[in-house]
This record gives sequence, structure tokens and C-alpha cells, in this order.
Amino acid sequence: MTNILETNDLTVTFGGLNACDHVDLAVPTGKFVGLIGPNGAGKTTFIDAITGYVPTSDGNAVFDGNDIGELKPHERAQSGLVRTFQSLELFEDLTVRDNLLVAAYPTRWYTFIADMFHLSRQDKEIEERVNWALNIMGLNDVSDSMPTDLSHGRRKLVGVARALAAKPKLILLDEPAAGLDTAESQTLGGHLREFLNHDMSVFLIDHDMGLVLSVCDFIYVLDFGKIIASGTPTEIRESAAVKAAYLGEEAGEIQVQEGERMRSQQHESGEDND
Amino acid sequence: MTDITTESSSSANGTNLVEVKNLSAGYAGVAVIRGVNIHVGKGEVVALLGPNGAGKTTTLLTTSGLLKALEGSVTVLGEPSNFSAPHKTARLGLAHVPEDRSLFFGLTVQENLRLGLRGKRSEQAAGYESALDLLPALRPLMNRRAGLLSGGEQQMLAMARALVSNPKVLLVDEMSLGLAPIIVERLLPIVRNIANETGAGVLIVEQHVHLALEVADRAYVMSHGEIVLEGAAEELKQRQDLLEASYLGGELDEETV
Amino acid sequence: MSAFLVALIAGIGAGALYAMLGSGIVVAFRGSGVINFGHGAVAGYTAYSFDELRESGSLYLPWFDPIPEFGFLQTLRINNLPVRIDIFDNVTLAEKPNLAITFIICLLMSAFLGLLMHFLVFRPLRNSPTLGKVIGSIGVFLYLSSMCAVHFGGQNRYDEGFTGFNSTSGAVKNFLGLGGTIPRSNFWLFGAAIVMCVAVWALYRYSRFGIATRAADENEKGAALLGYSPQFLAGANWVLASVTAGVAGILFLHKTQPAQIALFVVGGLGAALFGNLTSIPGATMGGLIIGMIASGGVELTTNSWWPEIIPGDGVRNFMPLLIIILVLYFRGDKLPIRGSISIGRQPRAPTSTNVIIGAIAALGIGLLLSNIFVSKWEAVLTTTIIAIVFMYSLTVLIGFLGQISLVQWTISGLAAYVMIRLMADGTKIRETDFVTNTGWGWPTVLAFIAAIAVAVIFGLLVGLPALRIRGVQLAVVTIAAVIAVESLLLRNPPLMGDGSVSVNPTPSPNWFGQYVGGFNPNTARTDYWKFSLFIIIIAGLIGVGVANLRRGQIGRRFLAIRANERAAAAAGINVANMKLLGFGISSGIAAIAGCMLAYKLPGLQTDQFEIFGGLALLAFAYLGGITTVWGAIVGGCLIAGGLLPEFLGVHFESVDTGLINAVGAIGLVVNAKVTNGEGVALLQTDLAKNTLAALRREPDETEEAEENSNNDTEEVTA
Repeated sequence: MTNILETNDLTVTFGGLNACDHVDLAVPTGKFVGLIGPNGAGKTTFIDAITGYVPTSDGNAVFDGNDIGELKPHERAQSGLVRTFQSLELFEDLTVRDNLLVAAYPTRWYTFIADMFHLSRQDKEIEERVNWALNIMGLNDVSDSMPTDLSHGRRKLVGVARALAAKPKLILLDEPAAGLDTAESQTLGGHLREFLNHDMSVFLIDHDMGLVLSVCDFIYVLDFGKIIASGTPTEIRESAAVKAAYLGEEAGEIQVQEGERMRSQQHESGEDND
Repeated sequence: MTDITTESSSSANGTNLVEVKNLSAGYAGVAVIRGVNIHVGKGEVVALLGPNGAGKTTTLLTTSGLLKALEGSVTVLGEPSNFSAPHKTARLGLAHVPEDRSLFFGLTVQENLRLGLRGKRSEQAAGYESALDLLPALRPLMNRRAGLLSGGEQQMLAMARALVSNPKVLLVDEMSLGLAPIIVERLLPIVRNIANETGAGVLIVEQHVHLALEVADRAYVMSHGEIVLEGAAEELKQRQDLLEASYLGGELDEETV
Repeated sequence: MSAFLVALIAGIGAGALYAMLGSGIVVAFRGSGVINFGHGAVAGYTAYSFDELRESGSLYLPWFDPIPEFGFLQTLRINNLPVRIDIFDNVTLAEKPNLAITFIICLLMSAFLGLLMHFLVFRPLRNSPTLGKVIGSIGVFLYLSSMCAVHFGGQNRYDEGFTGFNSTSGAVKNFLGLGGTIPRSNFWLFGAAIVMCVAVWALYRYSRFGIATRAADENEKGAALLGYSPQFLAGANWVLASVTAGVAGILFLHKTQPAQIALFVVGGLGAALFGNLTSIPGATMGGLIIGMIASGGVELTTNSWWPEIIPGDGVRNFMPLLIIILVLYFRGDKLPIRGSISIGRQPRAPTSTNVIIGAIAALGIGLLLSNIFVSKWEAVLTTTIIAIVFMYSLTVLIGFLGQISLVQWTISGLAAYVMIRLMADGTKIRETDFVTNTGWGWPTVLAFIAAIAVAVIFGLLVGLPALRIRGVQLAVVTIAAVIAVESLLLRNPPLMGDGSVSVNPTPSPNWFGQYVGGFNPNTARTDYWKFSLFIIIIAGLIGVGVANLRRGQIGRRFLAIRANERAAAAAGINVANMKLLGFGISSGIAAIAGCMLAYKLPGLQTDQFEIFGGLALLAFAYLGGITTVWGAIVGGCLIAGGLLPEFLGVHFESVDTGLINAVGAIGLVVNAKVTNGEGVALLQTDLAKNTLAALRREPDETEEAEENSNNDTEEVTA
């Protein structure tokens, strides 16, 4: 089996210390992979690094067979590596449908001339894809509303739908369930597996253990920038290291001490990576 | 809500320093916490526990007036907490050590502490000395810029800055975030000390469940914006299974209770 | 070489003004997180007040009488708002009021200005998006400058101020054995800047107020949690900042005309950025450096080897821009960005659905008016339409893309001057022309297209910094660019022809054999009907283009970038290209507006494209509604010389441009607070929609609604 995404020794340094510390991780094509870890573990930093939002200091990321280290964020998105954001980060002045259309349509240099004369044509395939994304996230009835008129939960879904509309090969979901109530997060969880049927792989970050354990094929656990465990949901549920990381038991003490210096430095440099 | 004790909730009476009633709050008009009831009495240490994203920090921010309540009420020292003016709540005698510590990195340790002073000159001096007696490690660092302190020292400074104002209510958010347990073990008892000696009410949000339960009288556990578990610290310590369930996302069914 | 050194040292004089203004900008920024473009105007107003008090014994309050002494409103017999207080009696040239008392009164005036700015402008706007705050400070700039014009006539003043500061009293000769002379006052001013620097620095360093200000500046949440009211600290710092501005203004009274002091804010901004917007000593040093390199640079231009095409005044005014660009380039990402609890919402930018109907209606009304109007009113109509065309450029750049560029009106000027230079052929065009421009004698259409091309290229250059910086920083760069470009490229005879420093005569435009200029040789007025027709068509086409842009893909992308650049990149948008596209389109439209103005007038005055004009246009565009085509149309009707003020002018007999701009500035700030910059246009649209909805409602529904109204009001009050 091939991997759609592979990182080798990926390292991100803030203020001389590693927020992501030699992370080796792989997402097999067509699979659902999760990454969990407590607050400040470096999960979002990891997504920021592979999507080009923070520079990496070591290691590389290979997406779809190509090293993507030199690509800019929008080039990575265009190549099919599409992310969502933990905070809403929607285009608040555009309707829900327009939010999706922005991501779905490519731009050419002459688009603005066509626009000025109102000559741009609709692309059937793209419109269908947008409709599918609205549909799967249950946003059909609000497609002409402004995101600010929606509930927090549905706004998060707009963010996911926007990523789906961009025709991703790998979709990176950064805490899609954060801020949702239990019912909403279960609804979301029910839809996530459907993505796999549409030629894409999924990479999910969340600190809602219940959600991650129920939908993922394979899970990595990150703490203090390092992978401390990986395995199937059942293996992770039983792992002592995971419990330690979440509840702060004695078992986790060694790692915690190692990380202490690092975090204090991060605070000094004003970086808040999660 | 699962209440595993009978006597704890009975202390909700007129002597409470902080009363949070049926509180809903959040960001941009969207509720992150719903129907939260919390009270803190005199000389009491109360822990607020729960997994990441459960709404603990939101609860504290609303209590000190930094966030607006969408529904419900917050009363601090008998006065309704003023949602548009956290500085007024602070002047009532509430000290809040937020999750990010909110230190002034460009200011020296001494300047940071000076800003916390409140009251008459004699009270200021007393508060200053007693805070430094509790955290003597800060004494040699007085002229150092706060941004140059280590994480543990920063946390001590944040605590000291809250303590010099002789607070009647103290809110501490994630004191242990990014700190070695050995430092946390040193800091948490200070909280207990303040409550015992000055009669202040203390509300702490804590990651290290077991350390928190060591010093707290009572605890609330939050999950998905609601309080799912409440009880005396002693009893919660015995019910490890309930805690784990609320942290690791399992369901709290009636049978386990 | 020694002449250069002497010039460098002499630069501490102007440098001291930059330093003092820069320190004040830092103080206001630390207190409130606002970069105040109006800081120089505070200094200018105080300087004028000082001079007026010394000359006539009267103090003018910083507002105007809303009920004029003429027109129908005077019949209402309402008590007028007091504007003038006569403090000293019997002022003569020989017996001027006491210097110290005058000084103190004027500093109280500037403190009062600070309080007004805090309570009426920046406190109400504290939760507005960056655009709103920038607009607020531009409003202050425009308002106080307009008030200077209204109260003091914007005239030159001759009070010598403090003895010893007087530039004519004994120049220092042969300083440090370098030869040359330096005015003694330069050293006094330098000393004053140093004293101010030390005083403010010590206040911030040692007083609890100062420490609390620094604390709140770094972490507003932390300060509030310790019981310090951020708004109190902000207000106190506004007062302090304004007093420093007042001191600077009064001390420089003898050296610079007060009307010019407002423009020195650009050097002050450079100084403040040099101090990272936080350090008083840094700002002082930055100001002195700008003053010195500007003075030294001007000295270099007097050499024979210096290329004539770069004028000395241009070099002087380029230095603040240079410093600003260097600071932003090297430290741009480390500059403090104030963390506010709420960033606020951007103004809505709805799509226009009925573009064709709207365009036909607007064209119809325009043609109808043009047919009805004669003489003066024809000219008023074309002034309005030119303003509308210019405002379209702001709609694209600021409204859609969210990039606050203040230099667009200068780009219009650049295009107009380039076009005139290309068309001119050295012959006298009208009997009344003072100057004859030489040029390349290009045909009208070619020169028009080339001028637009030059403007677009220049606009792309301005857009380059926007790839790295955004928001208020871009506004700072572009306001500095206005001052620099005006003196470097526009008022430049070797480059733009002899007309560029006096009245620049515009050649007769011929489009396909038709004369379409506004100047009517028969009436000697600018009321030629073919020009009206021509410009109505141009404005209609551009309006349709802009509306279509908004509802097309590019419009969506612009708004996505305006809302969130990070998310836009994640959606696959090439943010850099889109921003450059926006700057290009906007500059092209601005260029057309500039060329149209040149078509209209027989000659362009040197102050035609100056900063106040550009800011006033921005103000009225914002007031009309910065995010919509309809808003630009409303805004164009509001400008001084536009349809609405001229119409009102019939009743008021005469309406001062300064007064209209002052009203516009007030409207600007109110609009920023009340409609979040959506302007009159969207208010109207909303009102129309709600009225229509109410009319369409069935009668029985209305009854229900009434029954429910009690509940509704309860919800509202809750």
C-alpha cells in the first residue's frame, strides 16, 4: 500500500526548542488516520508545518509522491493537501455557498476580465462537487445564508465543507469537533467515514478521544512534540502512556519533565502552538 | 449531572464568595458552556476538572468578567460581576491567574508585582511581604524582566502578583500547564495555605487531576460545556472509573453511578 | 564635504519636530493601540490657536457653528454654539498677551483635543476592525485640518513665538570649525526634543501610571484583571500625547507655517516606527535621523553633478517614506499588534443583483440631469461623476480587498500629469494659459492608455509592500508615499513639464475626432455637454465592471482575502497575485478619474491632487459606503463641489469647502461607529428592503405581529 502523506523526522523549532520533534508519521492512501494529544502537544503545529504555515527546521514531508517542502500554502492546497482550521476562519462576508465556490474554482490570469463583463461560465463538475459537499455536511438549507447567522456547530461544518469542495486528495481536519456539543460531534463523526468513498484520505486531529477512537483506522499520540504511541483504536484505549498524558499520572512524569523547559521557552517567545 | 455526594451541594448559602448560577457563555454569541452552577465558599478550595475543550477556562473568564454571560448570573462577593469591566471585578477583591498567565514580559518582576498592589500603604506592604514569603524564589529575581524567567518562575510570579493584592477570591487557571510535577507540587499547597490563612475562596482549573484533588475540598468535572460530575475531593479520588470515563470520552451511564 | 556635514547637523531642527511628533504618536499608540494620523493636525491646530491668541486675544474652540449667520436657518433664532472666546482685550502689536499664560492656555486646549479624540472617536471605535480605527484617525486629521481652514483661514502666520527660538536671532557660525551657518533655534529645538523625550520616558519608567500603561499596552487582559481600566489609561495617554503635540506645534510656529505642521505627521510616523511604536528614546532618535538625512539629502541636490530630474524637495519628503519602508521591511513582523478582545466585523459587501437595471437607471438619470443642467450645474455634475469614478477605485481596493491605501488620489494625479506631458506639444492651448508645456505630442487615446499603464505599474509598486504588511501599516506607508510622490514625481518640472509647478494646462482631448474636454471656449466655463456625455458613459461602464467584478470569482476571492488571508491560502488562493491584481485594477480606475479631471479643467492647480483632497474623497466614499457601487455614487454626490452640498449651497448662499470636509469628517467617524463603514448606501438599501417587506405583509399578519410586539420588545431589552 502506498502512503498519500509521509513525514520523516519532521521538526519545527520555536525559540530554539522543538514544538514538533522528529515526527515520523504516515497516512496510507484511502485510510482514516488520527492524531491525538493534550493541549499544547504540538498537534496544530504539525498541521501548520505540513501545510506550509510554519517553517520546518528539519526533516521533510512527502505528499502524493512529491517532496512538498518548497511549496507555498496555496500551492499545497491546489495540489490536493487541504486543511481545515481549529478556530472558525471562515470568509464571513461570503454566503456559505460562496465560501465553497472560492475554494472550488481555479483562477486564471484572464478571469478578472471575464468577470468584469460577467462572462465567467459555470463548470458543471465543480458545481456538482460543491452541491455534494453542502449535502454531506447537511448545509443545503443554509447555502445562501451568511456564516455568522449559523450556529457554532454548523459553522464548523462549513469549514469542513469548504475543504471538501477544494477536491482534496488528503483532508486534514484540525479539531472539527471542538466546541460542538455531544450530539453535534456524534453527527459529525457519523459523516466522517463517508469521505473515504470519494477518493480521499483523512487525517483527523482532535482532543475528543471518543470521536477519534470511534472513526480512525490508525492513531498516533503526540505529547511534547513527540510521538509517544501509535496503534489501532483498541491499542490506544489500553495504552498507559496515553492515560498518563491525559490525566497527568506518575507514568507520564519523565516526559513531562523533559517538556517543561521547552514549554516555558515557548511562552517566552510568545508562541502558543495549540 | 452526576452528584456522587449528598452533603457537598448543601453549602450553597449566603456565605458564598462566588456564585455562578445557570451560566451559559461563549464566543461570538455561541455558547461554549451551558447551565453551569458553581459556588465557592469562604476558605474553600474548589477544583474544576475535565478534558481539554470542556469549557473550564470559559467558566473562569466569565466569572472574572472578561467574557459576557449569555444566560444566567455570576455574583462575586455579593456584587453581580460586571461583564464589560473586568477591572471593576478585580477591584472588588478578585484575583484571576489566567491560563496564559498574562504576565507583562516587558516589565521587571518588581514592576509586575507593583501593579498588583491594592489598598492602603500598610496593606500593600503586608501583601507584598507575605506573597514573597510564600514564594521566596522570586526575591533574587526582582530586577529581571518577566520575559526572561523560566516557565516555573513565570508561574510563581503570576501567583505572587495575584497574592500581593490580598485577594478575597482567587481564580487559578491551569497552573500546571507546561510545568514539571515537582514544581506543581510546590505551588498547589500555596493555594491551600491562602484559603486556610486568609479565608479566601479559591477556584482552580487543573490538568493534574490527582494533584488537584490532594489540595481541594470539592471538585466539579466538566465535559462538553456542562458539569457532569460534582463531589467532595475525597470521594472523587475513590471513583477513578468515573473520572476516566469523563476524560476519555466514554459514556457516563447510570449503572456506573 | 563640510557643507554636507553642516547640513546634516542643521537637520536636527526639523528632526526635533519629527522626534516630538513621533514621541506623541508612540504615547497615543501605547495608550490605545491606535496610530494617529491626525497627530500633526493636533499640533497644527494648537499652533494656530497660539498665534491667534497672541495676535487677536481670541481663542477658537475646535468646532464650528452649526447654525450659520445666513440662510433660512438663522430665522429659527436658536442660540448659536459658542465658537470664539475673547480672552485678552486690547491686544496690539506692541502689547501682546503674556507668553507663559498663552502657552498654558494653548496646552489646555490641546489636552482638551486629546479628551475629545478619546471620548468622541477612539473610545467608541475601540471594538471596530482596523479599517474603522484608521478611518477614525483620518477623520481626526481631516476634521482638525478643516477647522484650521475654517477658523484661521489656513493663512500664513508670523508670530515669533518664544524669543530665542526665533530663527533670525543670531545664527551659529562656523559650528565645530566646519564653516557654514546653522540657525541658533535648531539647537534650542533639539534641546526641547531631548527634554521632552527624557520627561516622557521617565514618566513611563517610574510612575505607576506609566508602568500600568506599558503593562496594558503589552497585555490588556492582564491589566484589566489587576484592576486597571484600559479605557482610563487610554484617555490619559491621549491627553498626554496631545499635550506633547501642542508643545511641538507651538515651538515650531516660527519655522513652519501651522498649516504645514499637520503634514509633518508623516515624519513623525517614521520616527515612531523607528522606535518600534513603543520606545520614546527610539522615536526621538528616529525623528532626529530623518531630519538630518533629509537636510543632508537636500544639500546634495545643490551639487552640479546631481541629476536635475530629482528635485530637492522630493528628496526631503522621500526620507520619511524611506525610513518607514526600511523599518517595516526589517522589523515588520516584530512590530506590536495590539491584541484586542474583539476584532470586530468587516463591513458587509453584498453583491449587486440588478446590475443592468441599475446601470440603465443611473445612466438615464445622469443623462437627464446633464440635459436639464446648464452652466454651473453641468460642471457640478461632472465634478460629482469624476469623484464617483475615483471612488470606484476605493471600492475595489478598500471595500472588496480590504487594503487601506491612501495613495490612490496621488495615482490619479500621476496619470493626469503623465497624460498632459505626453499630449503636450509646446504650443499654447488657450489664450489664458500662463505656461506652455513641452511634450511628445501623442494623440489623445494613446496618451490616455499610456497614462493608465504608468498608473497601473506604479500601483503595482505600491502593492508590493502590501504583500508583506497589512492593515494600518499599509496605511502608514501609503500616506508617506503621498507626500513623497507629490514632490518627487508631480511637482517636478524636468519630468512633468513647466506646468507642474504652476497651473498645468491640459491639451484639448479629441476622441475619434470629437472634442470631449469639459472646457467650453465659448462660455469660458467647464460646462461642455459632450464632456458630460462622455464621462457619464465612462462612469457607467466602470460601475458595471466593478459590480460584475464583485459578483464574479475575483470578487469572491477579494472578499475571502479581506476576511482571512490564512484561510484564503488554505482554499488555494494565491493571495499575493490577487492583491497585486486589486492594486492594478484600482490604480487603473483611479488613473481614469485623474485623466477625466484633466479633461474637464483648462488647467490643474498644484494642490489639485494633494493629501487633503485624497483623504476627503476617501472620507466621503466611506460615508457613502465603501463596499458597494451604490455607495460610491452616494459618496460622489456628497463631496465638496458635488451635487448635494452645491444644492444646499443655494440655500446657504456660500458653503466653505473646509466646512463641508469637517462635516464629512464627523460623518466619517459616526459612520465608522454606527454602520461599521457600510455607509449611507447600505442603510438606504436596508431601509428600502424593510419597508418593502412591511408593505408586502398581509393585513392579518400585521395584527399578529402587533400581538407579538410585546414579546419582541422584551427580547430586545433582555
